[in-house]
Amino acid sequence: MASVPRPNELRYLDPAVIARIGSMELRARAVVEGFLSGLHRSPAQGFSVEFSEYRQYMPGDDTSLIDWKLYARSDRHYVKKFEEETNLECHLLLDVSGSMGYGSAGVTKLEYGAYLAASIAYLMNRQRDAVGLLAFADRVVEHLPASGRPGHLRRLLLALDALRAERGSDLSRPLDRLAEALSRRGMAVLISDLLDEPEKVVRGLRHLRFRGVDVIVFHLLDPAELTLPFEGAARFRDLETGAELSAVPSAVRERYLQEVEAFIALYRRELRLAGIDYCLVDTSRPLDLALLAYLSARARRY
Amino acid sequence: MAFLFPAFLAGALAIAIPIVLHFVRRQSAPPLAFSDLRFLRRAQTAAVRRRWLQEWLLLALRVAALLLLAAAFARPYIDATGLAGRPITVVALDRSFSMSHPGMFERARAAAREAVAAAPADDLVGVVAFDDRVGVAAQPGAGRDAAVAAIDRTEPGFGATGYGPALEAAAAVIGAREGRIVVVTDRQQSGWHAGAGALLPEGIEVSTRLVEPAAGNLAVTAFDVTPAGAAAEVVNAGSESRPGRVRLIAGGAVIEEEALALAPGPTEIVFDAALPPAGLLEVAVDDPGGLPADDRRYHLIGAADRVEVALVGPADDAFYLERALRAAADGARFGVRHLEPAAVADPALDGVAAVWLLGTAGLDRSARARLAAFVAAGGGLLAVAGPRFDPALAADLLGPGATLAPPAAPPSGALGWSVSDVRHPLFQVFAADTGGLAQVRFGRTRRVELPGARVLAVFSDGAPALVERDSDAGRLLLFASDLGNAWNDFPRRPAFVPFVAEATRYLGARREAPRSRLVGDAPPGVAPRPGAVVEPDSGRTIVLNVDPRESDPAQMTAEAFAARIGRSSGAPAAGTARDDAAAREAAQGWWWYAILAMAALLVAESWLGRAVA
Repeated sequence: MASVPRPNELRYLDPAVIARIGSMELRARAVVEGFLSGLHRSPAQGFSVEFSEYRQYMPGDDTSLIDWKLYARSDRHYVKKFEEETNLECHLLLDVSGSMGYGSAGVTKLEYGAYLAASIAYLMNRQRDAVGLLAFADRVVEHLPASGRPGHLRRLLLALDALRAERGSDLSRPLDRLAEALSRRGMAVLISDLLDEPEKVVRGLRHLRFRGVDVIVFHLLDPAELTLPFEGAARFRDLETGAELSAVPSAVRERYLQEVEAFIALYRRELRLAGIDYCLVDTSRPLDLALLAYLSARARRY
Repeated sequence: MAFLFPAFLAGALAIAIPIVLHFVRRQSAPPLAFSDLRFLRRAQTAAVRRRWLQEWLLLALRVAALLLLAAAFARPYIDATGLAGRPITVVALDRSFSMSHPGMFERARAAAREAVAAAPADDLVGVVAFDDRVGVAAQPGAGRDAAVAAIDRTEPGFGATGYGPALEAAAAVIGAREGRIVVVTDRQQSGWHAGAGALLPEGIEVSTRLVEPAAGNLAVTAFDVTPAGAAAEVVNAGSESRPGRVRLIAGGAVIEEEALALAPGPTEIVFDAALPPAGLLEVAVDDPGGLPADDRRYHLIGAADRVEVALVGPADDAFYLERALRAAADGARFGVRHLEPAAVADPALDGVAAVWLLGTAGLDRSARARLAAFVAAGGGLLAVAGPRFDPALAADLLGPGATLAPPAAPPSGALGWSVSDVRHPLFQVFAADTGGLAQVRFGRTRRVELPGARVLAVFSDGAPALVERDSDAGRLLLFASDLGNAWNDFPRRPAFVPFVAEATRYLGARREAPRSRLVGDAPPGVAPRPGAVVEPDSGRTIVLNVDPRESDPAQMTAEAFAARIGRSSGAPAAGTARDDAAAREAAQGWWWYAILAMAALLVAESWLGRAVA
């Protein structure tokens, strides 16, 4: 059972704060360690039994993991740590289309998605799971096959750090390609704003699901996309196509929000029917909510 | 729809301002990067359609408000003649009193109706009636029935014929269109005043329909009253001698009657009857079959004809002038008063029309100001630059720039003088013989300068002897010698008395408006018909007489008539048409509606503007 971190711990999970940390590896570690330290029990542990190390007991640790023999010898509380041994393959699918380059809350959706992907990769790596990366726009930009070998995490994080938003957007093709390439059951985590044709996206995700892949979708949306907070007449320029549209936000806001809600509701409904976990993420919110969603999804499945 | 001041329509160009602002504002919004426009575009579809409508409606309201403002300033009116492009025929009907022979004006009306009927089918037809005044009796757009009705309503008056103003008014009715003017008239020569003509635009044809007058007419063409008696001139316009009875009437009663055989041409009649001291005199001649209007002529006599004259200066110098005024043939008309310079003040000059200024000793500043005010108010002043006139006061009395040189004796002995313009009213009495003036010898004269003055007489050395500065107000004359028998012998010459009398009459004429006028010069508010009338402004009684030229039946040919008409390529005179347009516009008052509509539009614009914002 996971619990929400306390407020003083959330500062490490604020996307704007994370963005100021030097490298992607440090960012991922900060997120994951900060996140895990606040949990009463790590949901990532439990089915692996290979001993890893001792660690001094900290409030919140499971008391059943206290090594009482060591306590008898040293008069101190230590908990045993175990390394998980799984054969799980996790594929991180990160959308780097032009629309992911939009951000009004300090970080772009791409940066937020990269932090989230890095954090998940870090978690997976801690658990010795194989993790891979597929970054795509209207074509595949970066592909790292899933691996659990030492050093792979570093390559993956460097690749995440180097990603930039592209112009086009086409989710269905990478999804189909991944579905065709998978040779064993695994897990796919799609991180995208899903600004594509919903039918094509859902069809691609169903394809993956049909191949036995567990899919979790993180639907990233900027707070400005969720509320359209602008005032005064403006010319909006599409980050992907460069097209422009003049509008008065106050005049169109109500209708716009209805459209966005319908869009989200469509994905939520279609993906639930397809057995796919869907998580709407506001990029102004801390990363822990997304991680919690991820872990709870994992807990349900494994 | 026409406009009284169409130039204001140029203000409609101001609609460019909201239009430009409308489009400029559209481009002024800053670009804003956004992830995806699909939701905005869908939302915009409905909102933009509504906003597009609102913005264009807003623009339309603003443009319409500006157009209405420009239209209001241009003063729109419904043009009854506004059947655009159609030519206009104007029938000009002569209603002068020479058309009033028995049955003559009926024939004139018939000729005018024929002219209306004969106008080309596509033409609009208007009517103007004229004598020495012109009026539009029927506008061209009112229809031919209205034109005929206007002709039937027109009656002959007492005015004289004036072709020039009539043709120009008719051309103004036609305006810039093609048209023709048909003048229904007796084609009197006197209808074209001496040397006068009419200037009409190219493209306006002028023709005449002659209405022959009846043969024979007796007219009283002059009536003069002097203290010696009354005299009149009766003209027999026929070719044969006619018997006639001429009566002198005073206060409605015949005081003398004569039966005469009036030969063709003018006959002067001198009446023997003693005249009353004041009242209305009238001369009448029986003229069955002739023009009734010129059978009588009126004259007012009495105290009202007196010219009050003040002689300002030493009594010695005024002696000769006073004697001359009393000795004049109509001396009874002069009310002479002598004033010492120090006595010049308001009460002393009350009622005075002419002042002879003979000396300046004792003439203080207020007295000088009073004399200047007297001239500015219409009085006449003749300054005699004799030995009693201080040159230092010249500028004060005669105006800026006036100078008098010290008196000088001519080196070559006494000087004579001569008149520069015998047509000047002051010298008309000498027109036949200026010898009387030439006998005068001047032993001393002054060199005088009066800026803006004209020279009426000069000394034989070429220096000005008498100068006059006329103005819209009074008259100012300056004589460059004296009239007191000191520097010349003028007071002892026969020409002195008529000169003084004419000069006094001339000086007083401006102050005293004439009591006898022609019907055409009748003051506003007075019916233009012969007889005694009361001036509305002054309350004075005056008499109106018909213009004697109108009694002359001499005709001109159609070619001679046409030869008086010049052509111009410019726009026609606005004149009467403009006045009519102004009257129509004032009666309709559409500009008020334009202003109200504009106000309503601005209210709607404010409301819609807030909704759009």
